[in-house]
Amino acid sequence: MRPIVWQGRRSSCESWKPTVSSRLSTSRVQKPGRRRRTGLSRWEGRVGLLLITPWLVGFLLFKLLPILASLAISFTDFEMMHPDEIQFIGLRNYFGILRDGDAGFSLFATTGFAIITVPLQIAVSLGMALLLNSKRVIGKRLYRALIFLPSVVPGAVILYIWYGFLDPTTGWLNRLVAEPLGLPRFSGLGAGGFDMYQIMIALWSIGPGFLIMLGALKGVPEELYEAGRVDGAGPVMRLFNITLPVISPAILFSVVINLMAVFGGMQLLDRGTSFVGQSPFDNYIYNVMFQADQLGYAASLGWVMLILMLATTVAIFATARYWVYYPEEG
Amino acid sequence: MKQAAHRHWRNRPAFRALVRVWDAIGTGLANLLAALVVLLYLFPFSYMLFTSLKEADQLTDSNAPIWPARMVTFNYEGEDYPLYQVPTEEGVRELALFNPRREDSDFIDPANSGAGLITWEGRWRQLDPLYEPYLAFENYAALWESVDFPRYMGNTLFVALVGGIGVLISSILVAYGFARFPIPAGGILFMVLLGTVLIPERVTLVPTYFMFVRVLRWNGTHLPLIVPQFFGNAILIFLLRQNFKSISREIDEAAKLDGAGPLRTLVYVILPQAVPAIVTVALLHFFYAWNEIRTASLYLGINPDGYTMAFGVQRFQSYFPSGNMLQASALIAMAVPAIVLFLVQRVFMEDVLVTGMEK
Repeated sequence: MRPIVWQGRRSSCESWKPTVSSRLSTSRVQKPGRRRRTGLSRWEGRVGLLLITPWLVGFLLFKLLPILASLAISFTDFEMMHPDEIQFIGLRNYFGILRDGDAGFSLFATTGFAIITVPLQIAVSLGMALLLNSKRVIGKRLYRALIFLPSVVPGAVILYIWYGFLDPTTGWLNRLVAEPLGLPRFSGLGAGGFDMYQIMIALWSIGPGFLIMLGALKGVPEELYEAGRVDGAGPVMRLFNITLPVISPAILFSVVINLMAVFGGMQLLDRGTSFVGQSPFDNYIYNVMFQADQLGYAASLGWVMLILMLATTVAIFATARYWVYYPEEG
Repeated sequence: MKQAAHRHWRNRPAFRALVRVWDAIGTGLANLLAALVVLLYLFPFSYMLFTSLKEADQLTDSNAPIWPARMVTFNYEGEDYPLYQVPTEEGVRELALFNPRREDSDFIDPANSGAGLITWEGRWRQLDPLYEPYLAFENYAALWESVDFPRYMGNTLFVALVGGIGVLISSILVAYGFARFPIPAGGILFMVLLGTVLIPERVTLVPTYFMFVRVLRWNGTHLPLIVPQFFGNAILIFLLRQNFKSISREIDEAAKLDGAGPLRTLVYVILPQAVPAIVTVALLHFFYAWNEIRTASLYLGINPDGYTMAFGVQRFQSYFPSGNMLQASALIAMAVPAIVLFLVQRVFMEDVLVTGMEK
């Protein structure tokens, strides 16, 4: 298919300039025989389609069908206990969200949660990656595994540890840190509908992001630092003008996976949290679903979440070209 | 000439020694900082370990130290009496509290129990008890007795292995299809695949639950945990596809000319070159399967014999409200993934780095 487009473009353009797709052109030039879809490539296409059939079927069964069903449910007042009394109520659920103070608050809190945790996660994982990338540090392999450890431990375990650790009366935060230092005691409550536990738990899930940043740091060419030194750039300048721009794709990747965790999307390394959800809005949907039993309303909330998630992701990728450095295009 | 003098000054032995010392201090500080940061980051794990080795009495005792300990007691005529630090005229003495009263109390001197009771004026509640380190390993024994851990582990391994085989086979096939074949609208389909990663689980939850429970009647079985794996996992497909694409096409073109079919090429050409990526993906799935509780709590709640490890441990909160048992169960539940991580960290870590970055 592509070769046809390519040929057309080539004949129509008088002066051909290498563009972004010039990278692809080399392989095409080597295969002049594949101008039209030959029988062979059609056969290959069918084989490919057959190979991806498991995912296609799974996508239809477990993603597309449920999503459309939940869209349909979101226009009804469906309740699990009274499935027969289901009624079509149009957009009333969606207008209901606008009037629902709890939904608005939890959404606000979720945004705040993302604004606090995601930069915190990035800062901590970047800081630790920078530290462990230092040539001076010995025993890096052990440290790396240790930093990764909280990310592979069951979510329930993480929760028990942090609940115990932060407990206002018996927890170690108050006994070992707040009291000896004369700081105000941690009361166990957070502000804005999310609490300290969720932030700490988020901080204990940075394993994949940390590894990706460490890998990116290892890939920064040493010549760039040499050139920076020659030009008289100090460590801080080298960090901001060399290191961070070069590893910005890794930072983008970490931002995306951390945001997806906040909004309840799929995770690179899922520890399985359930009874404390990923975010206040996620908790709110859970309550509407299982305690209030308003499945229709929950479905509309879920759709709002999905749209927010898509909008956020699109926004991040749209702004990426202003702050992410892509060497092959530059 | 100025330049030469400058270099001369820099090459002086004293200056070189100073640089070496400075460098050594820097290295020392960097190592110290790294150790401190990692220690601080993981510090709450020590809370878990310490609490799991405490006796239940210590948890409610506000005087108790932070380390696992029990009160020192003195056995007198068949009864145990706790020791306190009692200030007397002869300095602070360690005495066993025999008969506590509000304003004054009777004590026994353990060193000289024959001497009879010592009455001390003052409130015994304001005295500091004496503690000795004591590791309550019996917590683990009690937990192992009362909870069917081998069954939980068996269930989890079953789910992880069968689901793992399913997710590996399907994800490898799909990734191979995306990486090597001119699928009609393949680019769009791949974007759809990446897009599914963004779908919050809450959105698909109710219809999926309805399908599994009402239509297929799988409630209480492991099938809802296993069957979806056979349709591949978007993230694993993405990672594998990136890796397959980085493998040179030359050998599989040659294999094709030799008459090898697509599956033969996959098994004999691609897979041997993709072993680290496949191990990584398998491990990602193993960690997921071991820790998963969202699906388990939806479908296994009615079948206690089918509990998986993480779900069983999550349920402990209602069985064992006492913190020490909770922390002990947490430690047992995290032991397996932690051990696996340390055994495989080399291949796992290196490869996540490489494959992850190719987005």
